[in-house]
Amino acid sequence: MKKASFSKWLVAMMLLLLLVLAACSGDSDDESGDTGTGSDTDTTEGETDDEEGAEDEGDDSAEGGDDVFSIDDFATEKTNEGEAIEGGTLNFGLVSSSVFEGTLNYNFYSGDPDVQVIKWFDEPLLTVDENFYYTNDGVATFETNEEGDVFTFTIRDDVYWHDGEPLTAEDWVFAFEVIGHPDYDGVRFGNITNVVGAREYRDAEAEAETTYAAEAGTIEGLNIIDDKTLEITFTHATPSLMASGIWEYALPKHIFEEIPVAEMSESDAVRVNPIGIGPFKVESVVPGESVTYTANEDYWRGAPKLDGVTLKVVSPQTAAEALEKGEIDLVDSFPADQYVDVHDQLTNVEFLGQIDLSYTYIGFKLGSWDAENNRVKMDPDSKVADVELRRAMWYAVDNDAIGERFYNGLRWNATTLIPPSHGLFHDPSIETPTYDPDEANRILDEAGYEDVDGDGIRETPDGEELVLNFASMEGSDVAEPIVNYYIQAWNDIGIKVELLDGRLQEFNAFYDRVGQNGEDDPEIDIYQGAWGVGSDVDPTGLYGPEELFNFPRYESDENTRLLEEGVSAEALDDDYRFEVYSEWQELMVEEIPVFPTNYRAELVPVNNRVLNYNIEPHINPFIRHEIAVTQEDPVLP
Amino acid sequence: MWKFIVRRLLITFPQIVLLSILIFLMSQFMPGDALTGMLDPNVDQSTIQEQRERMGLNDPWHIKYANWVSGLVQGDLGQSFRFKMDVSELISQRMENTLLLGIVTLIFTYLIAIPLGITSGRYNDTLLDQAITGYTYVGFATPLFIFGLVMLFIFGYQLGWFPTSGSVGPGMVPGTLDYWISKLKHVMLPALSMALIQTVSTVQYLRSEIVDTKQKDFIITARAKGASESRVYNRHIFRNSLLPIAAFIGWEITTLIVGTVFIEQIFGYPGMGLLFLESINMRDYSVVTALVLLFGIAQILGTLLSDIILSIVDPRIRIK
Repeated sequence: MKKASFSKWLVAMMLLLLLVLAACSGDSDDESGDTGTGSDTDTTEGETDDEEGAEDEGDDSAEGGDDVFSIDDFATEKTNEGEAIEGGTLNFGLVSSSVFEGTLNYNFYSGDPDVQVIKWFDEPLLTVDENFYYTNDGVATFETNEEGDVFTFTIRDDVYWHDGEPLTAEDWVFAFEVIGHPDYDGVRFGNITNVVGAREYRDAEAEAETTYAAEAGTIEGLNIIDDKTLEITFTHATPSLMASGIWEYALPKHIFEEIPVAEMSESDAVRVNPIGIGPFKVESVVPGESVTYTANEDYWRGAPKLDGVTLKVVSPQTAAEALEKGEIDLVDSFPADQYVDVHDQLTNVEFLGQIDLSYTYIGFKLGSWDAENNRVKMDPDSKVADVELRRAMWYAVDNDAIGERFYNGLRWNATTLIPPSHGLFHDPSIETPTYDPDEANRILDEAGYEDVDGDGIRETPDGEELVLNFASMEGSDVAEPIVNYYIQAWNDIGIKVELLDGRLQEFNAFYDRVGQNGEDDPEIDIYQGAWGVGSDVDPTGLYGPEELFNFPRYESDENTRLLEEGVSAEALDDDYRFEVYSEWQELMVEEIPVFPTNYRAELVPVNNRVLNYNIEPHINPFIRHEIAVTQEDPVLP
Repeated sequence: MWKFIVRRLLITFPQIVLLSILIFLMSQFMPGDALTGMLDPNVDQSTIQEQRERMGLNDPWHIKYANWVSGLVQGDLGQSFRFKMDVSELISQRMENTLLLGIVTLIFTYLIAIPLGITSGRYNDTLLDQAITGYTYVGFATPLFIFGLVMLFIFGYQLGWFPTSGSVGPGMVPGTLDYWISKLKHVMLPALSMALIQTVSTVQYLRSEIVDTKQKDFIITARAKGASESRVYNRHIFRNSLLPIAAFIGWEITTLIVGTVFIEQIFGYPGMGLLFLESINMRDYSVVTALVLLFGIAQILGTLLSDIILSIVDPRIRIK
C-alpha cells in the first residue's frame, strides 16, 4: 500500500515536473517575445528620446508576408471624413508591456510610458516648429537680448492650473528650484545647468541641508519681473537653447510648496490627482493601468471638443486586436512589425506614419575610455583602426535589403548620422557608401588586406590573421538573422567576423560591455546599436570626445571643432549651423567611427471616427483640444 | 504540537537569512542597473552618475547588503527607483490584486476539483471517469501560458464576455459596488484559465485516493453495517480522501501571494508576479529583493502551514 501510494506520488510529481519544465521553457519564449515589443524594448535596442519612447517597437519584424511598404505611403495627419459630433469620449491605448510608473509630472517622470499619460493633461510652456526650434506662440512668448543669452518670457494671462489658480512666473521658477535641489530624485538636473547659478544654488541647498526648495537661496539666473514675466540668464548663447534647450515645464507652487522635495515624486500631487495646464483634467488614476480625463473647459486654446479621454495600457501583443474591436481608438505607437499582418484586417483605422527620431548603426571600437581624464582614448593598434577597412565593411552590407526582408520596408537604408526627422539638418546630398561588394573588395585590395594563405580570408597588411568580434543585442525575432547576414556579408569580402561569445547579448550586459560605465570590453571590435536622437540636433552627447556615450571611443580635432562650432554663438544663424552639421555628417562618412544602417518608421493607427489628429511631434501636443469624433462608438471593421 | 511549530519556526529563521543573502548576491550579479535604461542623450550623464552615487549603486555589495538589512529590520524595504515610491507601498498595492486573483482561482479550483474527483473516483473505469481522466491528462499536457492566450482570444476578444487587460475598469471609484464588480469581472477570466489547468492535479489526487479508500476494510465494514451508499461515500470515503488535499492547501496559499507570472503577464493583470518580472527586466533591485524575500517567506510559511494542517487532520503523522 505504501509503495503504491509512493509510486502514485512519483507519477504525479513527474507530471508536475513536466508541467513546470514545459512552463519554464514557455516562459522564456513568452518573455523574449515580449521584450521584443514592450517598453523594455525601448531599452532593448535603443536609447530613446524621452518623448518617443516606444520607438523600438519596430524592433521585431514580420518575417511573413512579402509586402514591402514605404514611409512615403503614410500621412502624418488623419484624413478627416464625416461631421464631428458634440462631445464623445476617446479611448487612447498606451502600448506597453509594463504598467506605467505613475510619476505623472513633467518635472519628475523619466520617460515612456509616463509621458504619454502626462501629455493629455499638461503641456510645455513653449511651442516648437518641425526642427524643434522654439516658436513664439505657446503659453509663454519670449524676447532675447542681442547676445542671445538672456531671455525674457511673458506668460499668457488666460492660462490657469486645473484647480483654477493662474499660472505664474513663480511656478516656472519653482520647477527650476525643485530640480536643482539636492533631494530631487529625477534625472533632469542636466537640463537646467545652462541657467546661471543653478549649480551654486544646489551647492548652497546641499550645504544648508534644506528640506524644501529654495530655502537657502535662489538661482541667480532666474529673475521674476512680475507675476507673468520671467527673465532667464543662461550661461552662454548657443543655438541649443532655441532648439528645445530650455526647461519648459512649470510646477504648481501652491501645491508643491508644502511638500519636502524628497517626497514630491511619491506624493499624491504627482501620482493620484496630478494637475496641469493642458486640455484635459485628470479625473481618476488606476495606478499603472488606466487614467480617465475630462475636458478642461477653461483651456486657453479653447475648450476641447471631446467630453473626455480614457487612457489604458494595452500590451503590444493585443494592441491590434483591441483596435479591431474598437476597444481603443488610437495608440501612442504601434508595433511596426505587426503592420504587415494586420493592415488588411484593420479596415476601421487609418495608419499614420512618420520617420522616427532614431537610427540603427554599426560601431567600431577605436579605443577605450580613460576614466581618469574622463575622455575617450583612441588606440592606434585597434583591429579596426584602419578607416579603409571600415569603409569596405560599409560597402559590403546591403541595408536596404535588410529593411525590406526583415522589416517590410518600414526600415530602410540610412545615410548620415542625423536622421531625416531633423529635416533642416539632415543633408540628403551627402554620398554615403551603399552596397557594392566589388568596391569593398577593391578598397581592401588597395589597402593591402590580402589573402596570403589562400583560405578565403584576408590577412592584415602586415600579414597577420584578422578576426573581428561582433557584439549585438538579443530581443527581437530577427536579431539573429540580421547579425548572421552581416557576418555573411563581411565574410563575402574576405573579412572574418565572429559573433562575440557565439551568441547575442542581453541588453544590460551588452551596454555594460560596450562601455556605458566606461569599462569597455576589449574583446569587442564591432557592435550593433541604436540611438534615439534628441530634439536638439547637436550630436555632442554621442560623439563628443568627453562623452561616455561615445562608444566607438572616437575623437579627432576636426570632429571636436565641428561639434563646438555647431553650438557656438555664430551657429545661431541657421544657415551657418546647417553648414557645420553638413560638414560634420560628411566627416563621419569620411572617418566612419560608426556607420548608420537603418532609419525607422513610427506607425500610429487611428480609428476612422477620430478627426483632427496629427502625430508630428511639434504639432501633436498642441492640438489635443481639437480632436473630435464622428460617432459615439468606434468604427468597427 | 506547539513544540513542533516553534521548532519549525526556529529552523525557518536561518533559512530566511540565507535566502536573503542569496537573493541579494544574485541580484547584484545581474548586469546593468536601474539606470541602464536611461541611456539617453537627452539626459545628462553626469546627472546619472550622481544618481548612481546617491542611490549607492556604486557601493560594494556588503555595504549595500548591510544597508538593506538595516532598513529591513526597521521595516523599510527601500525605494523603488522605477516607481519612485516606497517598495512596501508598491507591494501592498499589488498584493490586493494578487490576493483576489489567488482566492478566486482557489475557489474555482476546488469547485471544479471536488465534484470531478468524487465522480471520477466513485464511478472509476466508467466512460464518465475516462472522460474526466482524459480532461486531466489534457490539462497536464497543456502549458498554462498557451491556454491563457487561447482563453483570452476566445472569451476576451471573440466573444467579448470579459475585459482583456487590467484589474479594474478605468474611472472606477475605489470602495463602490461598481468598483468591486468591475474587479471581479477582470479577475474572472485569468482565474478561470488558471483554475482549469491547476485543478487537474487535485482531481487526480482525489480520484486515486477515493479509489484507494474504496477498497479499504473499514468501508467494507461500513457497508456491512448497512450504511447507505451515499453515506458511505460522503461520510467515510470522502473525508478520508481529503487528507492529501488538505495538506495541499498550505502550499496553494503561498501561490496566492506569489501570484503567477504567466497569467498576470498574458492578461496584463498588475499583480505581484507581473511586478516581479518587470522589476527584473528594469533592474529595479530594491523591488526584486523585497519580492523574492516575501515569496521565500511565503513559501516557507506555506510549507509550515501544510505540515500543521496535516498533523491536525491526520494524527498518525504528527511528529513527536
